[in-house]
Amino acid sequence: MSETPTYIGFETYTEHIPPSIPAAVQQATGRFVGGRAARVAELPHFEQLRQIASDIRLHTIENLDFYLERLAEQVTAAGGHVHWAATAEDARQIVLDLARRHNVHLVVKSKSMATEEIALNHALEAAGIEALETDLGEYIIQLAGTGPSHIIVPAVHLTKEEIAAIFSEKLGIEAPADPVELTRIARQVLREKFLRAEMGISGANFLVAETGTLVMVTNEGNGRMCTTLPDLHVAVVGIDKVIPDWDSLTVFLKLLARSATGQKLSTYTQFITGPRRAESEFGPREFHLVLLDNGRSNVLRDPLGRQVFKCIRCGACANVCPVYKNVGGFAYGWFISGPIGAIFAPQMLGTPVARELPYASTLCGACAEVCPVKIPIPAILRHLRRRVAEGDSLAPATMPAPIRAVAKLSAFALAQHWIYRLGARILPLVMSIFRRGDWIPSAPYPLSRWTKARPLPPFTAGFRQWWQKRKTGL
Amino acid sequence: MNNPVLENIRRSLGRTAPTSPSPRPAIYPPRQAESTEAEIVRSLEEVRKLSGVAQTIHADTVPDALKTLVAEQNIKKATAWNTPNLQQLQITHHLASLGVELVSPNAGKHDLALCDLGITEADYLLPETGTLVLKSSAEKPRAVSLLPRVHLAIVRPGQLRPDLHQVFDEARHDPYLVFITGPSRTADIELTVTLGVHGPKSLYVWMLEEV
Repeated sequence: MSETPTYIGFETYTEHIPPSIPAAVQQATGRFVGGRAARVAELPHFEQLRQIASDIRLHTIENLDFYLERLAEQVTAAGGHVHWAATAEDARQIVLDLARRHNVHLVVKSKSMATEEIALNHALEAAGIEALETDLGEYIIQLAGTGPSHIIVPAVHLTKEEIAAIFSEKLGIEAPADPVELTRIARQVLREKFLRAEMGISGANFLVAETGTLVMVTNEGNGRMCTTLPDLHVAVVGIDKVIPDWDSLTVFLKLLARSATGQKLSTYTQFITGPRRAESEFGPREFHLVLLDNGRSNVLRDPLGRQVFKCIRCGACANVCPVYKNVGGFAYGWFISGPIGAIFAPQMLGTPVARELPYASTLCGACAEVCPVKIPIPAILRHLRRRVAEGDSLAPATMPAPIRAVAKLSAFALAQHWIYRLGARILPLVMSIFRRGDWIPSAPYPLSRWTKARPLPPFTAGFRQWWQKRKTGL
Repeated sequence: MNNPVLENIRRSLGRTAPTSPSPRPAIYPPRQAESTEAEIVRSLEEVRKLSGVAQTIHADTVPDALKTLVAEQNIKKATAWNTPNLQQLQITHHLASLGVELVSPNAGKHDLALCDLGITEADYLLPETGTLVLKSSAEKPRAVSLLPRVHLAIVRPGQLRPDLHQVFDEARHDPYLVFITGPSRTADIELTVTLGVHGPKSLYVWMLEEV
């Protein structure tokens, strides 16, 4: 699941969803939607905050080179190390080299989408380094060997009985089916790992260009453990995570937790600028920031599509999505699911790999309504459907040429009212050739694809005539 | 310096050379502070909403409050920041007289992990969310608010700030900050909220009012 997919078969997957998945996912999404609504109602200026957040994100994307350069300067000035990773392979190599250089045997990881994207755990394990997820949900699915079903609660598809069975099997202990007791066991097991690990790996929610500060939000405290106890902290972060300054943070921090879990703020928010200054204050001796491109800089070419990078990963779009709620996170085939995944994966992996995802939506628009940074997800979905059908700079069209020609012709004809009127008069005449009684039982290609399954009702009158008749009839 | 990532970004954005951006869009103004009394009430209420224990204390009620906390949480071992404010309150002295073993805040991580209680003071307090803001230094080690199972933070009215804006104006150049909003929590197993998964299970916030 975490490896880079070569084809995402959304439809095939959805044919075999166990009923427990939508049930569990809907329990989670219901909780988060309710929580979000309550927090939004408390904040009268929520809409203004959304607009400002959207403006700042757009501004940052349009000046990404400037802010990244500034960020890198500031991280270096604070005593940190900046690594630029053009590809996933580059990023994996950078982390592996650091681990080898510091003779690392155990890595503790705080939930990070970027390391999922580059399948870092596999690379570390292949190099003989134990890499442990420490967010409780991530830890559970790592033990279970599955992928996340929800961005905020990745193990929500598993019952407490299933988790108890996994703990008993993998940890060799007697684990009762009780959330409190299971959490206590995880605390105990992971605490020992935190204290022993030589390297902590994290992602980031934001990178502040102004001071080179990494901002990280967690509820459990595992993120703090990973960045406080090991001597080495390596953060792998997508280049889209940069924001201009601390003033911008006032906007995003108010939106993030409210949109994600319905909290006002998550339990812990850390602001890390470089390594520790004094040994006795704790914190890493070395701080490394791996800035991951992995195709993002190419996606920037598309002025509409690049708005996907406004995303602050709250998951609100998934929580309201009627498709997501019925298929869960696995169906999207990569580390990021829901409506945002449906516009992220096709752009990052190319439309041939993820061409089904832009269609994994009803275009109902609920996602755009809740998005805290106003990403026009439905518009991008439609845009990507066009790219899938007509081809883009990265991939050829998947729609056959005759169909594209017909579509182009119709688009032209429908825009000229005289052609439209003429067509409305001619069409019934053409159809009368194929008409048998009240129906058209078989029509030539491409309409035959319809009539193979059921007869086609003939056009009896143009819309204008019908409308005229209806009006006078009243 | 040649940087292929930055170069490709510029190409995609249709630029050949670096440019200075127009000013960033304006942000939303901070919320207005209410009276100090109202801000205190609000802060403590927010901490309680998150299952934290919050109360106001005075310098002379510190020993009693500590006694109650030690009994309530069965504290055997504790550590505290070495700050003038906490020293002035003689926190460690009072704890020792209650029979609590004290560990230096600069001790190793394994020793701090064995502490039942970690005591810090907040550098700022945000009323709207009941958020403690803690800085980091040799006197204020980060692990004290993280490793022990109980965290006590002492805060004074002078540390109240109406919104994030004021905290960031004062602290943006600090190398490390942590916001703490309630005890460590998770809902990862069947959405059941459980406290103390990795960080402290219990959070105490004492507002020290001047007499």
